[in-house]
Amino acid sequence: MKKIVLLSLIACVLVAGGCKKALDINPTRLVSEKNYWKTLEDARAGIMGVYGLTRSALADNNGHWIYGDVRMGNFDSPIRMDLKAVIKNDLKASYPVVEALSNWRRFYAIINAANIFLERIPEVKANDARYTDNNMVVDIAQVKFLRAFAYFYMVRIWGDVPFITSSRDGSFDNVGKTSKDAILEFVQSEMLAAAVDLPYNFSSGDIQQPGNYYGESSGRWQGNLVRKLSAYAVLAHVAAWQGKYADVVTYSSNVINDYTRAGMSYISTDNLTNPNGFFYDKNNNQLFAFGFVWGHQEGSFTGNIESLTLAAPVVNKNTPDIFVPKDSILSIFKETNDARFNIDTTGTTHSFDRYFTNFLGKYPVFSKIKVILGGERDPTFRLFSSALVFTRLEDITLLRAEAYTVLGENSRAIDDLNIIRQRRYNVDQMGLPNPDLWIRYSEPLHGSLIEAIFKERQKEFMGEGMRWYDRIRYEKIKQTNAPFLQLINNGGIYWPISREVLAQNPLLTQNSYWK
Amino acid sequence: MRLIAIITFVGGLCFTTTSFGNTARSVCMSSHFSFRGNFQQQTDTSKKVADTGAVGIVPAEGSIQKKLQSNGNSLDPKKLSIFPAISLQQYLKGEAAGLYVQEPSGEPGTVQNMFIRGTSQPLLSAREVFATQPLIVVDGVPLVGEHPFAYDIQQYKFDRIGPATNTLANINMANIKSVEVLKDISATAIYGPKGANGVILITTIEPTAKRRITFDSYVGVVQPNSVVTINGKFENDFRRQFYDKYSGTGNFGSNDVYPLYLSDSLNNAFYGPSNWTDKYYNTQMQYGANASISGGGARANFRFSVGGIKSAGVADNTSADRYDTRFIINMKPMEWLTVSAMVNANRISRDRNKNVRDRLAQVNYIPDLSTPLAPNKDRYGQYLDQFNKGFDDNKTNTVNGYVKLGIDLQKFKFVSTLALDYNEGTRDIFYARTLLQTNNYASNYFGYNQRATIDNVATYEYDLNEDNKFNFSVGSIFQFDNYRYSYAYAYKGANDFIKLNLLESDKNNSNYLNPTVFRRELVYKFLDRTRNNQVSFYGKADYSYKDKYTASLLLRGDASSNQQPTKRWFYSPVLSLGWDLKKEFLADDRSVSNFNLFGSIGRMARYEHFDNYGQGPQYTAAIGFTGNAIVPGYNGIAVLTRPYMAGSIGYGLEWAYTDQANLGLNISFLNNRLSTSIDGYFREDKNMLLGIPSGAEYGYTQVIKNGMNVRNTGVDLTVSGIILPAGKSLSWNSSLNLNYNKNKLTALPGGLDKLVIGDRLLKVGSSVDSYWLLENNGIYNTDAEVPVVNGKTMTYNSIQMKAGDPRWKDINGDNSIDDADRTLQGHALPLLSGGFNNDFGYKKWSLSLNFYYNFGRQLLNQEMANRFDFINREGQNDINSVREITFWEKRGEYSKYPLYNPASSVGPYQVNQDLFLENASFVKLRTVSLGYDFTDYFKKRSSNFNKFYVYVSANNVFTLTKYTGQDPELVSYTGYDNGYGMQIPRTYTLGVKVDF
Repeated sequence: MKKIVLLSLIACVLVAGGCKKALDINPTRLVSEKNYWKTLEDARAGIMGVYGLTRSALADNNGHWIYGDVRMGNFDSPIRMDLKAVIKNDLKASYPVVEALSNWRRFYAIINAANIFLERIPEVKANDARYTDNNMVVDIAQVKFLRAFAYFYMVRIWGDVPFITSSRDGSFDNVGKTSKDAILEFVQSEMLAAAVDLPYNFSSGDIQQPGNYYGESSGRWQGNLVRKLSAYAVLAHVAAWQGKYADVVTYSSNVINDYTRAGMSYISTDNLTNPNGFFYDKNNNQLFAFGFVWGHQEGSFTGNIESLTLAAPVVNKNTPDIFVPKDSILSIFKETNDARFNIDTTGTTHSFDRYFTNFLGKYPVFSKIKVILGGERDPTFRLFSSALVFTRLEDITLLRAEAYTVLGENSRAIDDLNIIRQRRYNVDQMGLPNPDLWIRYSEPLHGSLIEAIFKERQKEFMGEGMRWYDRIRYEKIKQTNAPFLQLINNGGIYWPISREVLAQNPLLTQNSYWK
Repeated sequence: MRLIAIITFVGGLCFTTTSFGNTARSVCMSSHFSFRGNFQQQTDTSKKVADTGAVGIVPAEGSIQKKLQSNGNSLDPKKLSIFPAISLQQYLKGEAAGLYVQEPSGEPGTVQNMFIRGTSQPLLSAREVFATQPLIVVDGVPLVGEHPFAYDIQQYKFDRIGPATNTLANINMANIKSVEVLKDISATAIYGPKGANGVILITTIEPTAKRRITFDSYVGVVQPNSVVTINGKFENDFRRQFYDKYSGTGNFGSNDVYPLYLSDSLNNAFYGPSNWTDKYYNTQMQYGANASISGGGARANFRFSVGGIKSAGVADNTSADRYDTRFIINMKPMEWLTVSAMVNANRISRDRNKNVRDRLAQVNYIPDLSTPLAPNKDRYGQYLDQFNKGFDDNKTNTVNGYVKLGIDLQKFKFVSTLALDYNEGTRDIFYARTLLQTNNYASNYFGYNQRATIDNVATYEYDLNEDNKFNFSVGSIFQFDNYRYSYAYAYKGANDFIKLNLLESDKNNSNYLNPTVFRRELVYKFLDRTRNNQVSFYGKADYSYKDKYTASLLLRGDASSNQQPTKRWFYSPVLSLGWDLKKEFLADDRSVSNFNLFGSIGRMARYEHFDNYGQGPQYTAAIGFTGNAIVPGYNGIAVLTRPYMAGSIGYGLEWAYTDQANLGLNISFLNNRLSTSIDGYFREDKNMLLGIPSGAEYGYTQVIKNGMNVRNTGVDLTVSGIILPAGKSLSWNSSLNLNYNKNKLTALPGGLDKLVIGDRLLKVGSSVDSYWLLENNGIYNTDAEVPVVNGKTMTYNSIQMKAGDPRWKDINGDNSIDDADRTLQGHALPLLSGGFNNDFGYKKWSLSLNFYYNFGRQLLNQEMANRFDFINREGQNDINSVREITFWEKRGEYSKYPLYNPASSVGPYQVNQDLFLENASFVKLRTVSLGYDFTDYFKKRSSNFNKFYVYVSANNVFTLTKYTGQDPELVSYTGYDNGYGMQIPRTYTLGVKVDF
């Protein structure tokens, strides 16, 4: 009897001792607050998280292109009812994709992650000596820039949105809308400050970012991070959206004057449309872009323009989700010698598969961007790795041309426009390169300057999520299209706020046009 | 008494608080110490048992605990074993009042769900289903289920990655002595927080000192029900109606496409005979055999059993095979010491269905879906042949066992158990190029679920005098759960001959450990693990006065590593009372043989299985987006962000718990010829976690908060009667069990009174399993019929309604149809369910008829909604636009539905409207079996025979229902019938059971 008591005593004590320990488990599936913001690696995971969330926000449901290209744009959809609704600006239609795209949550994820990063990064600085002052300065500049970028993107989509610049962890108070103009002022000042702190390139011996950034060489960071010129390029867009064309000239000139310092160049039409060209992988010419890097296994079945536009014969899918109808193509690409799309009087195309493939079929396939797998022409597997490019040098050049035109400096504008023309209208009737054939802009041939610039933009950036915003700027400048101006004035250019979001936050009201 | 005090004290060492009671706790086996198998009389006629003979109601006399429980809890495993089932759920369906079993597919070995006394939460995903399952305890080994954490990496969550085999397909009914369904808190509390949803207690047959050999076997066939097939012409005619009505030009827009497979009427594959059923449905054999031997002496004995079964489905050549073996040994080295050990090992392998959807969900790649499988037999056969170029191997191994040490000093007993349950699954796949637009696919999965338990219990019986008896127990439980998987898949291998993802094995090669057959960039690898531990202490005192009044008080303390450190312990009491009215008032009344009243009230913690809530604010690597859940990082660098998609987790999350009260009555008359148990219950699960959609401006989809309460109230009733007693020429026993259950949401976190989650509405005061639907009142035939109020035409979500749109009821009268006009309707779980069993005996013959029924249950016929919504589904090339071969089966009633304009953007055929809500009540004849007992015949020839019983049975004979789709049972927990349920087979079985 005694023995038993003793035995059970011992047994119980043994297990009881392990009891506290047994109840403390550090999960392997997540990192808890107490184990984070300690080391250089934590800082890296944090900043890459902000980038990753930005990429996801833009790629979600192919939003970047549905917002920018599909909405009242050049594309039509053969079978997707939801995209047809977007094309018609019928944004309250009850389709999951339309509903999802009217939800801004994913942009606020960027903002929240950025806010947390900015609040907590000093802890890393205090804990880990490897995390240098400079590392922190460029990190903060990038994160602030990305936060401002998220606001800029949201303001373009929804107009007035809630404005939050702290994480408010644990108490997620509802916040009402702040006027878009105030937010854009904030965006501009944040981006300007970031531009000052950022280097031209990372891990490239720049005085503003000496040494290897997070121990990785320059190749790793090409095109993937925000650099000084990225900041100025986006600033030019911010200023153009606000109609501050003098600022546009300033910011875009920063880019155009210094692009060689950042290892960039104007790209050729072939480079633009090659599967392994400009959109493939990551490179410095992607002025502000988010890569789906094939080598890092980031290729994706969705979240890219290809999954919307490509179809047979480029990939093995019968019907594209969206396509540019034949008569639209013919009315847009009217000029001869255009390498992007070239058709002769007999109706034969000579532009190979650059902008359009299967032109004679029922649905011409928009094949400008076609980074299949690792930049191949293999039609069998629809995994794409094209980078999501927000802006590039050609964009900034045409933006400056636009600004000069608005400011009345037409000759400078024409110079900028011709930079692009020189690189695009350089093939002969058979589509073969002939650099001498290009002709400068002239009003009798190409219409009014502002129209010519926007037509050029329409061609050059087709499928890059720009058309919708270009159109708004154009109509604002032109002031002739009454229905569209009314759309601008009564808020019809914005998206409705998702019902889900409205249900959560009583301080919000539906955007007036969509009430 | 002193001893108890010491042990209590020792238990108290673990935590510093000295609060009373939470240190004590009781035995998992005390409640079934004395248990006696009984069997329906027709197979045991030799032994004229005094039992009722009805469905195994086994009142265990003597134990105080037993008096506090309903008689309706116990089932007769011998009778259950007649059913040619493979999973525990199939065995138990319709057999116990209050236990509801879902069998969403007749595919053998697939996952099925059980709910005891309703669901404690809205069933939003696999996570909630996992959290509402009862705990299964086999001989004191708490079984571990398949943890749903693997769903996190899945784009399409139809089945969990891996073999997705029902982990309860490992219970061989031939080895089982008793099955008890413990429902009320007086019985379940002892099993702790994991038993909060009820406990199913399974006890296996113990070794006998006398040598005994048993053998049973059956062989049967499964047979499909006949179906009506359709072909491309039928579908084309169906669609043409819409085009004729709504489009002058024959299409809905200049850039529309009409599907080629329907427009080409000369295409024999689609327009020819629709005879695919020859290749899809088939009659298959199934069989089972079990044998056991037991023997030894009084001091040491053993039982060894083996079994094998093949369970077959009626479609797609599906089947599940199980081999099991079990060894149990008891030793009594000293009079007061018993050591026993058990090992049970199972292997289940499964031939799975070849559904396109399930394959694509696994492959995670959607090829062009514009042309579905053709209804032509040869074409379908060619498709099936492609599977022969690859493989899809699904294997699950289960091992569980225990070592028990028992000390019995008459009044004092001590049992220490080390129990282990482990199940592992592998799935190896290779799909040839021909199945996926010239891309082949290989995948390997290995995962396990493991639970180790150390359970110590000490009991002390203390009889103050003849009238006052006590029984004290204290106990502790330490439980360690560990779940893990590793998973990889790859696309586009070099060819169809190398079916494995080979790695470079040469250490000196720069490509070392990189894939050689598949491209490195197209090989995806996953590794995940989650662990959690539970520590519990309890104390329990049972008291009985003159055997008339019984009382039992349990106090327990539970802690889990999945709870936040500041709120780790949860203390709770349970009080049970019993009153023997027979002894009190009717001791001399011979017409009443038994009359007990019992009740319990108490509180118990609910276990949380996910490890993220215990950590408070946290960071994860999830930065995926719609359609790409597994984004590996940014620029090849791992990321950590807040769990924006999964929801914000703050500090201060607490245990959820359940408050339960039960009042029951056992009464039997006329020497137990008529017996009834009735239990009224109240069960409110409280303070449960729920993701509240909020914090969108902080990036979150939802914020996880405590505070959801769901109440289930209902009645369990079991009535059994011997209408004609055995012994005469004809005997007839009849028994009815039913459960009436209603659930109600009583609180939402933060005092909210309603909440929309996806297309569900959770509203305080309404039930959690209702659908949120628009009310459909026909169609607007012309634009003029659309109501106009103050010059404003009626809208649907701000879209103007037009001719051809549904006439939805404007509930709030604001002349616009939106979510405010949806109402909660119907129930996905039945209000009333149960079984009705009849056993007839005539001489050596026995006949039994088992019915299973559900009433007050509705479902949404999504399959029909999909068929009518063809325009949208044809347009999207996504997983929802997959059409299976069963697309060519005519199900449902087409004429029921108005012809709306399918191209309208108001979503005229959206499933969430009462147009698609149907009554899913049914009555099924589940079993007819006819047996003949040869025992006497053989006994005359050899005295060794104890039993020789031969039977034939037919299962799933017919279903009576008003539902117009397939079998109304074939629906997942959501209540949406998507048509994926495979017929539950009708089986014909011939079997024999021998004991000697």
